Amino acid sequence: MNTVGGRLVLMLLLIHAVLMPALFVALAAVIDRNIMDAFVDDARIHGRIIGDNIESALVSGDGAAAEHMLDSAILGGHSVYAAIQRKDELVTSTMMSADEAAQFKEDFGFGENDDDTYYFSVPVGQNEEFAILRLGFDELPTQENLAAVRRTIVLILIFYTVLALVATGYLTSRIVRPLRWLRRASHAISAGEVDKGLKAESELIEIRELSNDLETMRGKLVGMNARLQQEIAEREQAEEDRRTLERQVRHAQRLESLGTLAGGVAHEFNNVLQPILLYTDLARDELPDGSDAAANLTRVMSLAKRAKALSNQILTFGRFDPEAEMDETNLASVVEEALEMIRALLPATVDLRSEISNDVGAVRCDPAQMKQLLVNLCNNAHRALAGGEGHIEVSLKEVIVPAAFASRYPRLREGEYAVLQVVDTGCGMDKQIQERVFEPFFTTQEIGEGTGLGLSVVHGIVMRHDGEIILQSEPGRGSQFRIYLPLASEEMGQLS
Amino acid sequence: MAKIIVIDDEEDIRVVLKQVLERAGYDVLVAESGKEGLKLMEQEGADLVITDVIMPGMDGVSLTREIREKFRDTRILVISGGGNVAPKSYEPGAISTTAFLSSAKNAGADQTMTKPFDRQELMKIISELLD
Repeated sequence: MNTVGGRLVLMLLLIHAVLMPALFVALAAVIDRNIMDAFVDDARIHGRIIGDNIESALVSGDGAAAEHMLDSAILGGHSVYAAIQRKDELVTSTMMSADEAAQFKEDFGFGENDDDTYYFSVPVGQNEEFAILRLGFDELPTQENLAAVRRTIVLILIFYTVLALVATGYLTSRIVRPLRWLRRASHAISAGEVDKGLKAESELIEIRELSNDLETMRGKLVGMNARLQQEIAEREQAEEDRRTLERQVRHAQRLESLGTLAGGVAHEFNNVLQPILLYTDLARDELPDGSDAAANLTRVMSLAKRAKALSNQILTFGRFDPEAEMDETNLASVVEEALEMIRALLPATVDLRSEISNDVGAVRCDPAQMKQLLVNLCNNAHRALAGGEGHIEVSLKEVIVPAAFASRYPRLREGEYAVLQVVDTGCGMDKQIQERVFEPFFTTQEIGEGTGLGLSVVHGIVMRHDGEIILQSEPGRGSQFRIYLPLASEEMGQLS
Repeated sequence: MAKIIVIDDEEDIRVVLKQVLERAGYDVLVAESGKEGLKLMEQEGADLVITDVIMPGMDGVSLTREIREKFRDTRILVISGGGNVAPKSYEPGAISTTAFLSSAKNAGADQTMTKPFDRQELMKIISELLD
């Protein structure tokens, strides 16, 4: 009952419950009064005319004519009873029984005395003593007439009420249908279907305006929501970028500290190696060729040279490699040459693939160090495969680094780079190992296998070339080393 | 015979280089600092100066500049241990010996070498310089 339709119908019924009986009473009263007054007036006029005729007959002394007049009043008119009282003589003509006729009682209005007959008296002649005419008119036809009129009124009122109910129902559905539609739509929106429109079809101005306003509001909210979502995503991205950059900077700083430390140690180490190498050489000079002592000193010298090679690797990691000769180089041919070397170095069973673009611009680099870098990375990849299934893929291409990407890495700038990539499908590594993998002497190999310098040398070479190295790896899903080297044209551009 | 002055703050390097070069037939004088080396150069003169680049007091770069100004015809070979100055200064930004060597070249050094080198390498460079 608390719906709009329910309320409207209830209100209509309440109004009609009061209004309809009142209307009926008022209408019936007015119509009854008119009909009854007409009946009484009619009867009185009738009585007056008969009275005048009877008076003429009595004045001329024609008693028979007067009686005849009474009969014709009954037979020709509507009266059911007619009588003349003259002194003590009563002349009666009637269609009633004698009992009924004896009950004459004067009526002043219609329907009095409850006898269905309207009785009244008319004096005949100037002198009231002369004669009195008594007449009775049947009230029943008029009463039936009244009842018929009331029935008609009731029917009209019922018809009107039904019509009003139908109209109310129709109007209600016109109001309620778009409201229900709006409700369903807004329900869907609150359930998350924010793209659901709120524009309701209705010829009713208020509903149309309401739905238009709601639709405008929805549009604005959807827009605001989208902006908020975008802002949140942008902030999250910025935060993520900042964290990545921070991690990269920390990583770079740690490696730089390590490199500087290693460089200092190597410096002292080399200063010690130098006299060892030369003293041994001088001592061997004085021994006869083929002697055990000479052979031993030769071995000491080759050990010192091995130590020198180790020291050089440490220097390369620390970017102190004094041998580096930087020149504008076509990287594609350097990589092809390196791949030939690597194929010879690795067992023939290793699936080594390559995809080298020949359209990569020149890079300022030391070709020997680039080869060293690739050899070390492929060695590392080969170890990651651990003799199992899988492949190593070396690729070279030119890319444009966008500003957003560059902002995540301390050494990258927006611009053109050559990207050298070595991917393996080997064992991969977890985050902890990734953090430390470029540190010198960090190794996951068994002691005796590998020096733990391979990847730190790679790192040193990349830093030496003002590049960036990005490692992506997941345990069991292989590793990807991506090396960004700035194109020579970019470096020129930055200098100018 | 050509005269060579060897300048290095490390005694073992001085001693062994003197022996190697004398055995190859050169006249060899040694000094343990840049200042002493310059004095020796002014007193005795030499065809070739072999100097370490990182030394306390006057380093190899300043020494090279002084010699180059005063003795146009003397050849200068600058040597270094590579890496950076010393382990005690391993904080980031320590000057690498590579930088020292290249500034020595700018100051007028004819050649640079990184220690350790073997006898053949040294002899080859020296004969090229004195040729």
